[in-house]
Amino acid sequence: MRKFRAVVKHEYKKIVYKWTFLLGTLLFPVIGAGFAVVPAIIFSLKGEPTRMVVVDQSHKIAARLLENLTQERLDAAAKKAAERSRTDVAAPQDEKMKNAARQLAAGFVFIDFKSEGKTTEHVRQELNAMASGNEIDAYLLIPENIESPDSKVEFRSRKGGDFVANESVREAVNSAVRSQRLADADISESLVENLSRDVDFDAKSINDKGEEKDSDVLFIASLVIGMMIYITLTIYGQVIMGAVVEEKETRIAEILFSSAQPFALMAGKLVGVGLAGLTQLGIWVASLVAVIGFLSTQADVAEAGISLPHITALMIIYFFVFFIVGYFLYASIFALIGSMVTTVQEGGQFAFPPIMIMLIGFYFSFAVIRDPNSSLSFWVSIAPLFAPLTMPVRILAETPPFWQIGLAIFLNCLAIATLIWLASRVYRVGMLMYGKRATIPEVLKWIRM
Amino acid sequence: MSNEDATLRVRNVTKWFGDFVAVEDLSFDVRAGRVFGFLGPNGAGKTTTIRMIVGITAPDKGRIELFGEQMSPRLQDRIGYLPEERGLYKKMKIVDQLRYFAALKDVSRTEADKRIDFWLGRMNLSEWKNKKTTDLSKGMQQKIQFISTVLHDPDLLILDEPFSGLDPVNVEFMIDVLSEFRKAEKTVIFSTHLMETAERLCHDILLIDKATKVIGGSLREVKASYGRNLIALRATGGDGVLANAALVKRAVEHADEKEVELADGVDPQLLLQRLVASGAEIAKFETVEPSLNDIFIQQVGKVGS
Repeated sequence: MRKFRAVVKHEYKKIVYKWTFLLGTLLFPVIGAGFAVVPAIIFSLKGEPTRMVVVDQSHKIAARLLENLTQERLDAAAKKAAERSRTDVAAPQDEKMKNAARQLAAGFVFIDFKSEGKTTEHVRQELNAMASGNEIDAYLLIPENIESPDSKVEFRSRKGGDFVANESVREAVNSAVRSQRLADADISESLVENLSRDVDFDAKSINDKGEEKDSDVLFIASLVIGMMIYITLTIYGQVIMGAVVEEKETRIAEILFSSAQPFALMAGKLVGVGLAGLTQLGIWVASLVAVIGFLSTQADVAEAGISLPHITALMIIYFFVFFIVGYFLYASIFALIGSMVTTVQEGGQFAFPPIMIMLIGFYFSFAVIRDPNSSLSFWVSIAPLFAPLTMPVRILAETPPFWQIGLAIFLNCLAIATLIWLASRVYRVGMLMYGKRATIPEVLKWIRM
Repeated sequence: MSNEDATLRVRNVTKWFGDFVAVEDLSFDVRAGRVFGFLGPNGAGKTTTIRMIVGITAPDKGRIELFGEQMSPRLQDRIGYLPEERGLYKKMKIVDQLRYFAALKDVSRTEADKRIDFWLGRMNLSEWKNKKTTDLSKGMQQKIQFISTVLHDPDLLILDEPFSGLDPVNVEFMIDVLSEFRKAEKTVIFSTHLMETAERLCHDILLIDKATKVIGGSLREVKASYGRNLIALRATGGDGVLANAALVKRAVEHADEKEVELADGVDPQLLLQRLVASGAEIAKFETVEPSLNDIFIQQVGKVGS
């Protein structure tokens, strides 16, 4: 037992008493925040405004059109689009991109152009010349017979790829023409607007007790939780593998085995590295809770109507329980791999399958968020190897009955016992085999030995 | 050899790896306070035997008794083992590694720190205490590894090829250190290819080859059992006597003398009388003990052929 403690202390200090640990612990939240802040900064950089000539031969559209293209209107539209993309997580990626790009749009500057007494052909020629002379970027030609169904509005732009400008102009023209048509038909535009206004759709999920939860925030919180578990499991699993391979590569294993029992050595290593992981995760969770606590006291957050996820102490306990369960599952797999291979590089190749399994578990958590009570969610949240990644997300989304949580813990502990038993048998023999990588039949033989 | 004061007793030990017999029905004793040379060619089963003694693996058959008890993990703390394949943590301070190895042998922190300072001083490595392994030369690393095996003041020291990788100066230095253990009456088992070193240090030897014992016993006994039939001879004449197959097995001509191997059961005195009687002029007649090296080559060669 004292030797086990010595191993735990050794492994813990080896990781935590290092400036890289401090750096990693601080850097992860910074990088995370960076992902949120950097796009906002980029989108706040505006491009050059589009210089445009509007030739309205019908003399009915231009006034409304110019109004539609003022900066205030454009900003309002961009804001609305941004809102939509945040709440509609299922929106296709290109739409999201368009909505984001909208915020980048720089607006329009209108250039005066005298078209009186000129033929359409003549106007076109002059405008084309201005465009090629870099006096203007685009022009819009509204024909005289705009009310006619087969009339065509011409929009020519040197920035053909600027889909945001194209889109804005198209929308503005459509809206202006629509308004004109309504006016011609003697229909009040404000009445139509009032009648066709969207209803305020307030989407919240409720749990079994009938309490409301904000589904957007829930999604983001679940994602953060899933990410944190996935990343720490990947990192610390590979730390274990590295530590095992180092002792094999440097031949320290033989000295260790002559001093303590292989099981104490491996268990000590798993626990020591695990405690280091818990330290890091603890710092992250504590700061996350602190940030959420701080935000909830800020008036403007409450005003913005964003309800923060309600995190209970029990949820945090479950989170750590499943982290520990997941850690022991994957760490024993990585320890097993470490004792089979001869170098860290070789181990890297073999680390792929467990990482793949973790990644699949992480992806399953999306299905769990969407429908925490489906039978798929039930099975993936109790299944060994997947549960540590999916169950915490499910608990946050909608806490399942305790027997399911208990079952998940029980099944996964069973898997841990099996894996640690296997790993310590492979470790015992594999660590003293130098020079070549073990084959699968060899490993099976060691397990039976 | 008395069994009463045996530190280690190996009885009919056999170890298989699959179909391969690594050690077969091996028995020997290591007496307390003696230096025991464990010799044999590569692949003879030395490392496998040592691993069973230190409790890394268990014998498939037979018994190993240490300090009068059946070998158990508890007894590991009384053994200091320096494996042939050995290393250190690359990126860890020397003092931290030594503390860890001491803790694994159940030495308290204060005691460990005291001994670490003593041994680093003894090895002239004090200023490397807070350096990392990668800053040290290979010879220095070897010395650190040696320190890690003696920090817990073991009653039995097992050294597998302790001098490999050391320069001659450091080999001499380590032999001095080992002599101190010898004087302190600690039991030392050491395996080596360097027969001259074994000859200088060992009280007892065991030679194994192909998983089985070839010869064993005190160095004096072993040498004596081989030493009676070799004679260094410098003489003129007497060639007829040397050609007599009843007396001489073979005579090898060296630079200025002959090495004569007597036929079985022939007393050296008889050969001397015959030579004198034949009128040979004798400048030198000396019965020589064979070197351990000769015995090693002779025995391993014999078994191998």
